[in-house]
Amino acid sequence: MAEAPLISFQQVWKTYGEGEARVHALAGVDMTIERGDFVAIMGPSGSGKSTSMNIVGCLDTPTKGRYGFLGVDAGRLDRTRRAILRNLHIGFVFQGYNLLPRTTAAENVELPLIYRGMASGERRKLAMQALGEVGLDGREHHTPAELSGGQQQRVAIARAIVTRPTLLVADEPTGNLDTARSHEIMELMTRLNADYGLTIVMVTHEPDIAGYARRTIAFRDGQIASDTLQAEAA
Amino acid sequence: MLLETIRLALRSVRRNVLRSFLTLLGIVIGVAAVIAMLTIGSGTTAKVRSDISALGSNLLTVRSGRPASPGQPPVRSNRPLEDKDVAALRSHLLGARAISGASQKTVNVVSGTESLSVSVTGSDTGYFDARNLAVIDGRLYSDAEIRSGANVCLVGETVRQQFFGAASPLGSTIRVGRMSCDIIGLLEPKGYTGFGQDQDNVVMMPLTTFQRRIAGNRNIETIYVAADDATPTSELQTRIEDIIRDTRRITADKEDDFNVRDMTQIADAMASATSTMTGMLSAVAGVSLLVGGIGIMNIMLVSVTERTREIGIRLAIGAHEKHILIQFLVEATVLSVLGGLIGIAIGLALAGAASLALSIPFAPSLAVVFMAVGFSALIGMVFGFFPALRGARLDPIEALRHE
Repeated sequence: MAEAPLISFQQVWKTYGEGEARVHALAGVDMTIERGDFVAIMGPSGSGKSTSMNIVGCLDTPTKGRYGFLGVDAGRLDRTRRAILRNLHIGFVFQGYNLLPRTTAAENVELPLIYRGMASGERRKLAMQALGEVGLDGREHHTPAELSGGQQQRVAIARAIVTRPTLLVADEPTGNLDTARSHEIMELMTRLNADYGLTIVMVTHEPDIAGYARRTIAFRDGQIASDTLQAEAA
Repeated sequence: MLLETIRLALRSVRRNVLRSFLTLLGIVIGVAAVIAMLTIGSGTTAKVRSDISALGSNLLTVRSGRPASPGQPPVRSNRPLEDKDVAALRSHLLGARAISGASQKTVNVVSGTESLSVSVTGSDTGYFDARNLAVIDGRLYSDAEIRSGANVCLVGETVRQQFFGAASPLGSTIRVGRMSCDIIGLLEPKGYTGFGQDQDNVVMMPLTTFQRRIAGNRNIETIYVAADDATPTSELQTRIEDIIRDTRRITADKEDDFNVRDMTQIADAMASATSTMTGMLSAVAGVSLLVGGIGIMNIMLVSVTERTREIGIRLAIGAHEKHILIQFLVEATVLSVLGGLIGIAIGLALAGAASLALSIPFAPSLAVVFMAVGFSALIGMVFGFFPALRGARLDPIEALRHE
């Protein structure tokens, strides 16, 4: 199992609609991502980048082909098994932060641990630790409305890493932030990747944001148009 | 985990206080109505039973008129009961503890400038035994006074308070209709009947006096017969019927022109009628619980739609379908149980107020309270299930995209 790559797409197809209205969001994608990698996925809208990210995050399943995650055929798992897989191994960061409103930062961060059935004392301890790692000490009792956009995204990152996941899936994580805030968030993600070996798969359409990744995969029309390492690009 | 969910649900209820309250209102009204009905109902039933047993235990009454047949009211006979009927029972009836003729009329009673409309009864001394009446001050009329038709009377507590306040009425004279009579005794207070009739607003006098001075005829309205402990009332009833048929010379081919009623049977009948009534009213009140349940379903559907994004987040970070299902189910249940608890408080308060106003016993039942809590929880679960399922079945990707 240790030999298997973290993520492997083998001829993955994702098809929506029937007959004439049939659309292939993914048309036979082959892709492998190793543990500890930091990958940016780019491409115009409708290129298949969001669909592939949903499959990588075990939120969606391929119509055809095999999606291997941690050596498991994740594309064939049912809803509940995928939920368990997400809870144990995957953290999510979204463009719109997606924190629970009127809920404190600490409670937001604790959320994934609740679904692990962890006792509340333990949960609080881990949540405080995660908030510390993203530089939000002392903000644990603030609700999202009392935090800036950058701080909210940090809470979201804390929520994603509190479970010590193998993989972080980020969907336009800087989409709602100004340039300075964006770079702070990206530096935080780079640090998490370097310090913990956290694998990051990030969707973005901003080339300078993608520049933080080690590898960039560009999608076009449901297929991979290019797959470049940062060193080559530079 | 469940405690956590309940806390979460309570918080979500608190966040929308007004909306939660309006949603609860249906359940509150339904539970309050059912609790009030059942509590008042059992109080009334208890009151009816105690009233009837207060009338006298093992009591039979004889009145003129054909007995009621199913579906038909008793027919009044123009042949009233007479002294000789009472006399015949006195000499021939075995197994009776007490026998008394009695007639009753509502008459204006006057003393000084005060006046009061009072139920006046003329009777023999046996009436007091048969109906469990006691004299707490003064004395009962004597047989001599009954024979002579003396102008003496006993008064109830209400009459005393009206005319004499806290003072003793003994030795005073009051006008009853057009006669004046000396008060020789005070009756023990009995309170109100279940139908709101004041049993202390009474004046008692010898039957002969009543016939001559109040009624102006020799008629006897009712003969009261109390069975002794060894004789079943049904047995006594047959004997009474035989004797009265004889004195009234009713031949075998004719129907009775009088009727004998067993108060114990009437008590049972009335108590069961009261509980039937209570049951029916409670069932009607229960319909509003259904309406309340639909209100909860409605608001839970709104809540699920409003919180689609939240559901998406929870699903994405690892909540199972059953976690979401339980979360909303618990929320609906917490909502309806809250409504149930408020409803119980209001219902008991209403029943308490009603029992004061109607002077019936306040008879709350723990079983009914638990049933109400259980039932409101059930309503929350049943009506919350569909919205909760809808939330749990959401596709996380769709839900996260929801604005």
